[in-house]
Amino acid sequence: MDYKKLEDKAKWLRKTLFEMFVSTEQGHPGSVFSQVDILTALFYGNVIRYTPGNPGDPNRDKIIISKGHATMGLYPIFCDLEYFPEAELDQFGTPEGMLRIFGNISIPGIDATSGSLGHGPGIAAGFALIAKKEQRDQRAFVVLSEGEQYEGSVWESALFAAHHELDNLIVILDRNRKIILGDTEDLLPLDPVEKKWEAFGWKTVTVDGHSFESLMGGFSEIGKEPGKPLLIMANTVKGKGVSFMEHQPEWHYWQGVDEGQLTQARKELAL
Amino acid sequence: MSKSFQRDAFIEEIRAAAEKDSDIYFISADFGAPALDRFRDELPNQFIHSGISEQHMIDMAAGIALEGKKVYVYAMAPFISLRCLEQIKCSIALMNQPVTVLVVGVGLGYADAGPTHYTTEDIACLRTMIGAEIFSPCDDESTREIARLTYTEPSFRMIRMERHPLRTIYTGGFSSENLQSGFVELVEGTSVCLLSYGNSLHRTLEAQKELEKGGIKAGVVDVFRTAPVSHGLLAVMEKYDSVVTVEEQCLAGGFGSIILELLADNRVLKPVYRIGLEERYYFMNGGRKYLLDRFGLSVEAICEAVKQASLTQQDSLPH
Repeated sequence: MDYKKLEDKAKWLRKTLFEMFVSTEQGHPGSVFSQVDILTALFYGNVIRYTPGNPGDPNRDKIIISKGHATMGLYPIFCDLEYFPEAELDQFGTPEGMLRIFGNISIPGIDATSGSLGHGPGIAAGFALIAKKEQRDQRAFVVLSEGEQYEGSVWESALFAAHHELDNLIVILDRNRKIILGDTEDLLPLDPVEKKWEAFGWKTVTVDGHSFESLMGGFSEIGKEPGKPLLIMANTVKGKGVSFMEHQPEWHYWQGVDEGQLTQARKELAL
Repeated sequence: MSKSFQRDAFIEEIRAAAEKDSDIYFISADFGAPALDRFRDELPNQFIHSGISEQHMIDMAAGIALEGKKVYVYAMAPFISLRCLEQIKCSIALMNQPVTVLVVGVGLGYADAGPTHYTTEDIACLRTMIGAEIFSPCDDESTREIARLTYTEPSFRMIRMERHPLRTIYTGGFSSENLQSGFVELVEGTSVCLLSYGNSLHRTLEAQKELEKGGIKAGVVDVFRTAPVSHGLLAVMEKYDSVVTVEEQCLAGGFGSIILELLADNRVLKPVYRIGLEERYYFMNGGRKYLLDRFGLSVEAICEAVKQASLTQQDSLPH
């Protein structure tokens, strides 16, 4: 595996996304940046199966960014896959454009409208169940935020997926340890996260969400344990890539940048 | 007198369709029916038990519908309406998926259980789901025809059904042509028109008979598509001096409100009297009939409202 290629792609993705934030002064950079390496590995590490230029391919794998506020992380990738023209990226967040912070199914490649937390696993369980029933080799991927685990519906779906042996359902937990008011473990602890999922009948694997070697090792577990859905817990840093955003709960939403911060961020994100 | 369970009529219709259409999926959150036992037995691959997990059931139903399937979700009325209202909004309504939500045991159907199990506000809540049609059939015949509609023209719908069997009102059958307008003018009258649906339609018809004995000929309309209602209802209401709505719901935002909005939005001035349940939670024993009689929906209360409607109309006539 050419990790250098993945690292370059991740740099390109962060930089592109940063400029989208700057141009619109809106969005959730903390959550978007923490998942950049996950998405990069999925799409450029030969994990997710897709047909370039054909988002309507019924056989491609599905992906739901269950933490809908981070859906914009997919747009530069989808543009790169020729799901829509580059001009759409330039129109992000404008009245003329179709791309906005939260994704919806009118956008090519977006498999479920998201925004409210805790819906992704249930919808993806529906995808995975039908693929199984129809004996299609199709997987459903979900990027789940850490905070979504507070939603009871997530555990309802987890229980169901394990019972139905949905080993084609892969949830990637973007564990950046931050929610809006602070640290999860301070506010309402979620640990031991892996044990909880394992108790619900899932196979789990823990990875460094910013190491491509580690991420690819996690994805290599897909399909290794037939009959079990897979949770990949990716330990990440909220705001990863821009030093003044990293670990800062307030950068959950765009805070605005002065000239000095703009220069600094562009320098840190330079290709 | 023939009485049938609406849920069995509905599910049996869907089972027969599902035999020929493998794209039909039926999901239950641990809610049963004899007809569902047959469905589960004969079509196990098309039946899914979601667990007592209504939120997950709705999300998953949306996922299955996005795969091009016709999906039915089924549970006890309060839990498949209000408990998962946010899932209904975000996963079905926002993506406009052809999911049929079967809401069973509406109103005070679970009178022996109490207000956790009542739905006296579900119409007010569900009607705000954009793109949804809400059906509240009054018997097995109309239920069966509505069931056919759900698989011949799949769409986002809620079907409100009764817990207990109901007398068949459409003894001569229910024409599919009725589905166009969403209502049936059951009794033509003069002066006052009664609009109702579901279980309360049965009480309304009883009241109409009582009134007739006293020489008052009230009209009765079965508004089985409770939301959105047809503009065709305006022409029916125009024939009368006043309108009385009868519903087994609290009045805020319910069926009576729908009728008031229809009239107001079309600049039609018409006295409307809304009959429904008193705004409170009912913890007392006595059963459904007792509660309905005591808290606003007795046949006498309906008759009295019609009489008041007639009087008011006469008083307001120019001298």
